[in-house]
Amino acid sequence: MLKKVLSVAVLLLVSVFSLCLTGCDKEKEDYLVIGGMGPLTGPAAVYGIAVHNSAKMAVEEINANGGLANGLKLKLEFLDDAHDATKVQGNYYDLLENKGMQVSLGCVTTKPCLEFKKLSVDDNLFFITPSASNDEVPAEKNGFQMCFADGKQGAYAANYVNDNYKNQTIGVFYKADDDYSKGIFDLFKTSVDTTVTLVETSFTGEGTDFSTQIATLKEAGVKFVFMPIYYTPASLFMSQAKDANAFANDVVFFGCDGFDGIESMDGFSLSSIPQEVSMLSHFDSSVTTGAAGTYIANYKEKYGADTLNQFGASAYDCIYALVKALNEIEAANPGTVTKDAKVADLGTLLEAKFKSADFTFTGVTGGGKPMTWDASGTVNKSALKFTLKEADAE
Amino acid sequence: MMEQDTVLQEKYHKSNKDKVKKFFKKHKPKKYINYVAIIICIVIFLISSGGMKRVTCTTLNEIAISILLAVSLGLVIGFLGELSLGHAGFMCIGAYIGGKVALLLQPYISSSFILLVIALIVGGVAAALAGVLIGLPALRLKGDYLAIVTLAFGEIVRSVFRNINFFGGVMGMDTKGIQYDVRKLFIIGFFLILIMLAVIQNIVYSKHGRAITAIRDSEIASKATGINVTRYKIFVFAISAFFAGLAGVIYAFCKNPTADAFSYNKSIEVLVMVVLGGMGNVNGSILSATLITFLNLKLPTWLPPNLAVLKNILYSLILIVIVIYNNAPKLKSFRDKYNFKNLMNKIFKPKDDASIIKNDANKWDRIPTKIEMNEVLSVDVNVEESTTTPDVDKGGR
Amino acid sequence: MCTVKEFLNYEIFCGALFFKKKGIFMEFIGTLINGLSLGGVYAMIALGYTMVYGIAKLLNFAHGDIIMVGGYLLFVFVGIVNNSIIALLITAVLCAIFGIVMEKLAYKPLRGASPLAVLITAIGVSYLLQSLAQIIFGTQTKFVTLFQNLGVINIGSLVIQVSTLITLFSCIVIMAGLTLFIKFSKTGRAMIAVSEDRGASELMGINVNSIITITFAIGSFLAAAASFFYLLKNPQINPTLGSMPGIKAFTAAVIGGVGSIPGAMAGGVLLGIIEMFTAKVSFLTPYTEAIEFGILILILLVRPSGLLGKKRREKV
Repeated sequence: MLKKVLSVAVLLLVSVFSLCLTGCDKEKEDYLVIGGMGPLTGPAAVYGIAVHNSAKMAVEEINANGGLANGLKLKLEFLDDAHDATKVQGNYYDLLENKGMQVSLGCVTTKPCLEFKKLSVDDNLFFITPSASNDEVPAEKNGFQMCFADGKQGAYAANYVNDNYKNQTIGVFYKADDDYSKGIFDLFKTSVDTTVTLVETSFTGEGTDFSTQIATLKEAGVKFVFMPIYYTPASLFMSQAKDANAFANDVVFFGCDGFDGIESMDGFSLSSIPQEVSMLSHFDSSVTTGAAGTYIANYKEKYGADTLNQFGASAYDCIYALVKALNEIEAANPGTVTKDAKVADLGTLLEAKFKSADFTFTGVTGGGKPMTWDASGTVNKSALKFTLKEADAE
Repeated sequence: MMEQDTVLQEKYHKSNKDKVKKFFKKHKPKKYINYVAIIICIVIFLISSGGMKRVTCTTLNEIAISILLAVSLGLVIGFLGELSLGHAGFMCIGAYIGGKVALLLQPYISSSFILLVIALIVGGVAAALAGVLIGLPALRLKGDYLAIVTLAFGEIVRSVFRNINFFGGVMGMDTKGIQYDVRKLFIIGFFLILIMLAVIQNIVYSKHGRAITAIRDSEIASKATGINVTRYKIFVFAISAFFAGLAGVIYAFCKNPTADAFSYNKSIEVLVMVVLGGMGNVNGSILSATLITFLNLKLPTWLPPNLAVLKNILYSLILIVIVIYNNAPKLKSFRDKYNFKNLMNKIFKPKDDASIIKNDANKWDRIPTKIEMNEVLSVDVNVEESTTTPDVDKGGR
Repeated sequence: MCTVKEFLNYEIFCGALFFKKKGIFMEFIGTLINGLSLGGVYAMIALGYTMVYGIAKLLNFAHGDIIMVGGYLLFVFVGIVNNSIIALLITAVLCAIFGIVMEKLAYKPLRGASPLAVLITAIGVSYLLQSLAQIIFGTQTKFVTLFQNLGVINIGSLVIQVSTLITLFSCIVIMAGLTLFIKFSKTGRAMIAVSEDRGASELMGINVNSIITITFAIGSFLAAAASFFYLLKNPQINPTLGSMPGIKAFTAAVIGGVGSIPGAMAGGVLLGIIEMFTAKVSFLTPYTEAIEFGILILILLVRPSGLLGKKRREKV
């Protein structure tokens, strides 16, 4: 009997505890709170860690320089979602109601960010995601992207192919069960010229052995392999292709922003691949001058080169773009950007600001050229065909 | 009427204290104490639901889903004695089928509550049918073999839903249109727990429940006494799957179901809840489901982001230590001396001798049995166990 | 994904008429060899599962994570000694020691307890190893180059990677060696005895505890070897490296009959071949796992104790 009473008491206590614990309001400090989440644990953690580090670095820099133009300091609240969309709901309400989030970076990876989009539209919370590239992410009025949308990447890549490989056969190697990879591929396929013949190969899950796909591409005799996948399977594909001697040296492996990080991968030497490896990117991690150079140097000094990638650079830009927009809003209507500013009000103001034609931002991504946002919330900035490694001579 | 008369008579003759005792004995309030707890919870929620934050509501909703899953899995593991590793598969079916039906009916039915009820029925029944399907191999397979079949079943379900474009494919199904107000959904979740408790306890205390535990303790003996093993096994799997399906529907009404959320990791998480709560112990399952879900949700928000990985280490260490403490044969004497019950006895009843262990055969939430779970679940009879003096372990199962 | 029509045209009809089209026949042989070599790796992992189950009666869920530990050790030692064969030997010995330590710390206290409790502990150990690896080595995928450019062999239109052949050959040697060890050595026969009847073998003077320890050591040794061959094909290491091959190998062990060594080999090879052939047919690729698990269920329905498992009569 005693134990029963106790267990019931504990059950009740826990529920009351949870009510109380999450219900207690803390006195809000003098900050504008920027919320965000990303995978800090699990297989995709390298992206989340890069974004968290870079965003933290940007916030610290801004606060060290006196915060926003009106002296308001920033505060970053970042939670772990482990690349798991099911964790987003709890995290989102926690950020919004317990941590006092006013504007947001959304989520780092695509699937959680789509969930985030659905939740945030009801509150009209402004968010600008550094790296969730799915076309649906900025579909609602409050969502913006700092990275290219997948469709744009697919279209850019298709343009490149149309210009350079007319009437030829090219290979595609993508991950059939990955939203990112499939998204780019689908739009690539629709925008590629009809004169170009596509040889499609794909894999699913934790692909381990690509010898059949490599053999298919080899038989087709392709000169160009478009690989809208992340760098881990890509590196594997390339090393297996090298071992199989499948491709001549003038074949080009062309990837999207998922290739970022391939050159700094532990134990994999890109220079051992005889073919050319290129990617479509908005961030060049090899520059040493300008804002990008400073960012790269600072990042390496603080967190090492391990997690330096375009996801982080993009997050760094997100914070600065937000600050620029907030400063302009505050300059136009003084008193709107405060520590108590309402989420929905900020959302409306920021949405108008980002969509207005005169708002441009120049950051470490986009090759140092100004970027703008169109009415759908996607970013317009210059894409680079960034050659990671030149082809070896025969 | 007769009962009332006796109660009335006793009312005059016995002292106040005795009267209370008799009343408790007659109505066995212990049996209903978890109902009372859940009802109190619901009442609290109803009163405060308007003012509650959404973060609290989503937490409570997750807790409700976990309790539904844990108690229904506990029915298979604790009472039928079969290990199932595919519970997330039933939840997946409930979420996808229930959610899809609601989405299809949405243009015709304006009330979201009716939509939810229809989805619950359809999703639950679909999951129950899958439960019947998985109950069939259970007739031929035992122990670890059945465990791997259920695991395989869960993975097949996930893999199929993941690749059908009708259900949204890789990106998962978009249920934004039918999603229920998070401030109210969890109340329905707790109401479903109440229904589940009523159903499961009624089964457990009926002759069906005794038949099921008889099958657990010895399948051959129960067959010999004329129990229809086939029917009961399928029945238990179906009931268990039904409530897992309900949990899935609730899930679909609060967020988008993506097939990856129902991987075997989810099944194992539920299994851990059941085992930590005590096998065949309904209240224990409720308690551990609540605590584990709460910790899973809240630990990452308390820890600074850089330490997020510590959560996993903490979680796994707690798991290992608790299981070893509860089950290690060598720690038995230690366990009997220093356990929660004795500690409580020391605090609340200093007169009681802590070393006396009371017989728990009459406990409402445990089915008394002479055969230990380990002998039932294992294919072989354990040798090392038989070398020690054969006594029934009362501490922790 | 190709359409059904294409699929029918290409895959089935060409497969049936492969003698008319020589290329397809060669492709078939190539896929078969690839499948056999992947199956060999699965079989090696499955052997660890099956031996531990047969002797200690516990499903070691953390077995897959020993592959991950082996992978990281290989990564470290290839960096230090710069010779992958020596690195493999060091790794295999360390993994065997690691397996013994794991058994002593996590499983030995639970000997005689409910198998379910041990299963949960194994799950806990698996989580623990993964999080520890994440803390020590970070989450970024590591790439390990075991051999520089092994190259390929061309037989007509058939192209086979040398690494595939090395894997296939080594797997056959290791499994033959293990079979001989179990059949003819004293320890091996003691292992058979313990798995048959623990009580009787104890009475015959066999030290059951040390046999279980040896089993864990051998299982972990095999896992380290498997991780070498796995990394030969797929040289990427991350903290969750072991979970998928672990599950596949577990499935292979059950298909073959848990506790049966030839069964584990057969199951592993079967899974490897299925995986390679579904990878060929893009129509089926997304359903690879569903097909593998479906076959598992079918086999168990027909033969409830696996392909080569022993049927146990239940005592009342």
